Amino acid sequence: MTGILKLFEPSFLLHHAFYGSLVVGFVVPLVGVYFLLRRLVFWGVALPQVSAAGISAAFMLQGLGLNLIAGGEAGERHLAIIGSVVFTIGAIMLLTYMEHKGGVPEGRVGALYAVAASLAILFMVFNPAGEAEMLSLLKGEIVTISESDFHSMLNVFAVITLAMFLFQREFTLVSYDRDMAVTLGRSVLVWDGLLYLVVGVTISLGVMTVGPLVTFGFLVIPAIAALPWARGMTSFSLIASLCGGLSAFAGFYISYTRDMPLGPVIVCVACAVLVLSSLMDLLLRRKPH
Amino acid sequence: MKTVLEPLLRFKNASLGYGSTAVLHGVNFEAAPGSFIGILGHNGAGKSTVLKTLLGLIPALKGEFHARGTHFGKPRYGYVPQKEKLDAIYPLTAYEVAAMGTYRGLELMARLRGLGHKDLIRRSLKQCGALELSDKRYSDLSGGQRQRVLIARALAAEPELLVLDEPLAGIDVTTQSALLKLFETLKEQKDLTVLMVSHRIQREKDLFSHVAWVGDGKVESGPTAEMLSAGKIMKIFEAEL
Repeated sequence: MTGILKLFEPSFLLHHAFYGSLVVGFVVPLVGVYFLLRRLVFWGVALPQVSAAGISAAFMLQGLGLNLIAGGEAGERHLAIIGSVVFTIGAIMLLTYMEHKGGVPEGRVGALYAVAASLAILFMVFNPAGEAEMLSLLKGEIVTISESDFHSMLNVFAVITLAMFLFQREFTLVSYDRDMAVTLGRSVLVWDGLLYLVVGVTISLGVMTVGPLVTFGFLVIPAIAALPWARGMTSFSLIASLCGGLSAFAGFYISYTRDMPLGPVIVCVACAVLVLSSLMDLLLRRKPH
Repeated sequence: MKTVLEPLLRFKNASLGYGSTAVLHGVNFEAAPGSFIGILGHNGAGKSTVLKTLLGLIPALKGEFHARGTHFGKPRYGYVPQKEKLDAIYPLTAYEVAAMGTYRGLELMARLRGLGHKDLIRRSLKQCGALELSDKRYSDLSGGQRQRVLIARALAAEPELLVLDEPLAGIDVTTQSALLKLFETLKEQKDLTVLMVSHRIQREKDLFSHVAWVGDGKVESGPTAEMLSAGKIMKIFEAEL
């Protein structure tokens, strides 16, 4: 019990990593529910990797002497965020555009994942000095982040949470029945665009905070675990968010007390929640038919 | 003197289709206020193309298409899609599905204050005999129950023009009769203009005031008695064969 309370103390050395993981655990599933409902789970695999390639590209620019943003380490971090957001939103726009062209969507997403993973490694060749920092960013180790940057990140996640609940009607309507949205005079393009923007920023910040693996895990696993128990979109979002947040908390505690790598532990805990949810669903529910 | 009302929808020598490919040519067809129009034809004849154009989902490729109404010059549509088109993975309640009909505007302030259109949504559900289904998951409902909820959703949009896409498909005979009765009641009570897409005429024909036959690359329309006469039906089926 004392160990758990220690995590919440301001003097706790890893308090940025702890609160960062918690916030990502609560917020990313709010976006993830739309990945599941729109059947874009494969996007959830590829986009965090694209985001990582964006971070790597920013480090490459620094390595090539193109110091686009001044401010030392903080400047590097800001450039990494910009790179991540630009790459992620660019990839979303590309995938959305290609969706109208037919073909094999899963193949495109798979190719995007492979390219992004390769570029993330190749870009680092141009900045050997930043490689260690890049790796720590990709692993989601935010121990060194400044207090002001950390609070900015929390504020952005707060805005994302507000947007997901405030515009839940519109995001649900354009996801569920686009034709109905048009007949009601709502712009599918505008609301899809806003949703994708929120998705892009969430994934980018998620990757910067906990890395691509955990971000992918939070995009998909809590939503699947929550689905059998949801009655309506609000309860779906809240249950998914709770699953993610609790997985992050338990994962961090196990990782800290057992001295295990944070990301994989969080994902495994989230998977345990999913298994528990599926078993309970099998045992307690009678499927109506 | 009898007042002649302007039609809500009018196609004039229009070509309809997708991209640059026209599926239907020389379409002349209009929906007068208060009419109940059956849009009939075989599968693949082009009924969905007519439907998508009149709902504003795709543009007319050539000719004219006019729609008039009270929502920024367009009719207030109440759209009932084929129930199979809606993905069953969504954990929406029947109430939430019906509520979508009221999502015409942003209404941010009302939303922040927790105000909505609860009375309208409940009234619409009740009118369709689906109020007791409100808290159930939509995907857990039977075909007939889902159709009732979708009709309630269309009514919650307070429509001038109710557009029904194959509303009786995949539904048992008893429920079909109940739904037909509901359409008749709604039309009379709400003075609606109704367009119903169907590939059958047996049970629906008594409701239609007008019929539009879609097939063979064109649309033929007129009063029901004329369009469903034995000679006309024979001619249409011969053309199909």
